[in-house]
Amino acid sequence: MWLWFSKLGSPKWFYELSTKWLPWLVVFMAVSMTVGLVWALLFVPEDYQQGFTNRIFYVHVPVASMSLASFPLMAVAGVITMVWKMKLADMVAKCAAPIGAWFTAVALITGAVWGQPTWGTWWVWDARLTSLLLQFFLLIGVIALRSAIESPDSAAKACALLSVVGAINVPIIKYSVEWWNTLHQPATDLTMNENGANGPEIWVPLLIMFAAVSCFFAVSLILATRNEILMRERRSQWVMDIVAREKV
Amino acid sequence: MKPHRRKKLTIIAFIATGLSVAIGLSLYALSNSIDLFFTPTQVAAGEVASGQRIRVGGMVKEGSVVRSEESLHVEFIATDYNNDLQVRYDGILPDLFREGQGVVAEGMVADGVFQASRVLAKHDENYMSVEVKAALDAAEKDRAAAGPAGESNGS
Repeated sequence: MWLWFSKLGSPKWFYELSTKWLPWLVVFMAVSMTVGLVWALLFVPEDYQQGFTNRIFYVHVPVASMSLASFPLMAVAGVITMVWKMKLADMVAKCAAPIGAWFTAVALITGAVWGQPTWGTWWVWDARLTSLLLQFFLLIGVIALRSAIESPDSAAKACALLSVVGAINVPIIKYSVEWWNTLHQPATDLTMNENGANGPEIWVPLLIMFAAVSCFFAVSLILATRNEILMRERRSQWVMDIVAREKV
Repeated sequence: MKPHRRKKLTIIAFIATGLSVAIGLSLYALSNSIDLFFTPTQVAAGEVASGQRIRVGGMVKEGSVVRSEESLHVEFIATDYNNDLQVRYDGILPDLFREGQGVVAEGMVADGVFQASRVLAKHDENYMSVEVKAALDAAEKDRAAAGPAGESNGS
């Protein structure tokens, strides 16, 4: 068990495993992204109230969900960094922060673009929008904190702690629409097809976009982590071997 | 697990739990300010001082919208199905504004009437295609037409 755990934490093991799995993940991402985007942006039927504005939903919802996933991921990696001092966990946490920030930004922007024609305003300071904006600033804060501290070890520890603390915001974002009254609508329960609303013509493309966007998140994170591994382990024998092989 | 790791994990768990409880309690205490709008019931109960700028949220009551012939002036009733609030507004309404839909209006209460300076439409969590909606409406109409006739035939 402990052997397996320490193997999991080895950057070399992660690098080799991801070399094997990455092409498959990329293929799956490309297929689902193409099918999902074409379906969602060209073929989803017009909504009875919003018209075609509802198509933004197919980008906004998966991206916003993945942006919410980034903080717990960083928090778990942070706990592993602080308790077990596993190098790989900190590399993943470091790479997840900018990706999470981009996902959050895209969620905020697509939401604003949808809000303008639907609600009549780009922005409103309700609980959902404000807490997601707070997550964006927290992620920027984590990135800034890491670059502000010179020693990599202290930077890792400080960022880990900030990630654990910042992750408390995630359930607040998720349940803000239920705990308080907001302009943002609550999450749609896709298992309830009451009165013909939210039928399969609505949720099947959403499901495909969910798969595509989560693969995109994973691929971005794995690619960035691989770079980080090579960078930090550049003096170890196995990385030098790879460099020597690539050069030939 | 080694003792020093267990100790560290306990400290982290302690910090996270403590902070969550603190934040949870402050949010609970602040919940009135975090709510985006007051409901017509809250306004009727006198929770809002007259002349105070607030937002009010509710459904636009069916058949309550009265538009002026020569200006943008519009009056409607916002309801939470317990209490009603008369709303007056001079301005452009969002496209989604319609009877039976949610609305959030910004403004103030004066003489029991809400004078809005801005009206936002609220979208619910249900999405439906135009075709499905049309089919549902047609079915509804059939039922309505068949309803009284069916009763007279049956009895």
